[in-house]
Amino acid sequence: MTSFSAHGLARSVGGRVLFEGLSLQLDTGETLVVRGPSGSGKTLLLRGLAGLDPIGAGTMTLDGAAPEQLGWGRWRRRVLFVAQDPPVHPGTPHDWVERVRHLKAQTSDLPTNPVMLAAQWGLAAPTWEQPWTELSGGERQRAALALALASDPAVLLLDEPTSALDPEATSAVEESLRGRAVIWVTHDSAQAARVGTRTLELRARP
Amino acid sequence: MSGPIELAPWQIGAAAALVLLNGGLSVWLRLGLEKTLAIASVRSVVQLSLLGLVLEPVFAAGNPWLVGGICIVMVVLASRAAAKRSSRRFPGIVRSSLLALVVGAGSTALLGTAAIIQVDPWWEPRYLIPMLGMILGNGLTGISLGLDRCLQQLDEHRAQVDAILAFGADPWEASRPVVAEGLRAGMIPILNSMTVVGLVTIPGMMTGQILGGTPPLQAAAYQMLILFLIAAATAMGALVSVLLAARAVFDETGRLRPERIQRA
Repeated sequence: MTSFSAHGLARSVGGRVLFEGLSLQLDTGETLVVRGPSGSGKTLLLRGLAGLDPIGAGTMTLDGAAPEQLGWGRWRRRVLFVAQDPPVHPGTPHDWVERVRHLKAQTSDLPTNPVMLAAQWGLAAPTWEQPWTELSGGERQRAALALALASDPAVLLLDEPTSALDPEATSAVEESLRGRAVIWVTHDSAQAARVGTRTLELRARP
Repeated sequence: MSGPIELAPWQIGAAAALVLLNGGLSVWLRLGLEKTLAIASVRSVVQLSLLGLVLEPVFAAGNPWLVGGICIVMVVLASRAAAKRSSRRFPGIVRSSLLALVVGAGSTALLGTAAIIQVDPWWEPRYLIPMLGMILGNGLTGISLGLDRCLQQLDEHRAQVDAILAFGADPWEASRPVVAEGLRAGMIPILNSMTVVGLVTIPGMMTGQILGGTPPLQAAAYQMLILFLIAAATAMGALVSVLLAARAVFDETGRLRPERIQRA
């Protein structure tokens, strides 16, 4: 049972305050949907929680441990961010999986096979052997998400993870993520209603 | 014939006249290069004359402190040039280039004169200064190319670096491909010149020695030695500089800080 919490988070960009005094709490089995207009700081919030971008103020803990206590590398692996538009890496998705598997922070092998996982979302196994440059946005999205899910993080931070997927793949992804601790940014209100157990609204600020 | 034919000023002037021809071409074709060409030519005359004027008394004095001082000035100037040539910079780039050149070029030049050629004394300026000059010239190119490529990759492929950081990679794991790419870029010029040397090009040092009356085989032996020293110095210098660059653009939490990479 995971318990993730953040208190008093603040972030501004170029003197413009995106959010301040923001607190959130998440346990296993919950999906916190984050909504808000473009530019309201949804992605920066996720990246900040993942330890990929600085957060201006506030504290966060995973099962009571702050990132400094856990070590930032371990924090990132446990509180894992998946970008909306996963990058085109060198080589194939299979090479990417191998690179991730051999990181020092990956102390044990992947608990689940990402290829099997993504197959449930309609991503054919041979796709993993194709260069990233040849993959569509939806294929990259599924490959990146499958590896993230297969590495079994405590919290998944997903930035519009199904924005490039068809309705069948979208609902299969939603099904696979059920029961985990997820912070899910989406513009799709129907999806927010389907997956969200709670909602966080970020406002546009001048 | 033993020594070289002594050159009179008019002979340098005659060679420089050929550059005037290039200047004329530039004006005619509106290339806009004539000013740069003129400045570069004047700089060559001034800098090389100064070098000649400085080296003569230094060679005659035989003072190790003086030789050491000149070597330090050379390394410092080279590190500034290496940092300046890179199209992207990071805080501390000059210091990093200096360290890279001291580790790469300085140690290799000393090893070359003291341990390999076994010059006596090891700081003999006739050997140490020209060798250090050649090694520095190539080393700084390697460092600037390596830095340029490494910083460009980190700047343009931030999403790739973030994606691996997200899986818990430390900065070294996240930047390893970029460091390798920078090292490769830094090594390309010296690898290219090693490939064509003797077939297409007769390098400057060998030409100089042959003109000075050294038998060609002996000149070739010196050229090989200096090429190997240059390759070693370039590899070491480029490696140290790209490692320091990669370290400088990650913060203490292991996060990539792209704002630390400034475009020149």
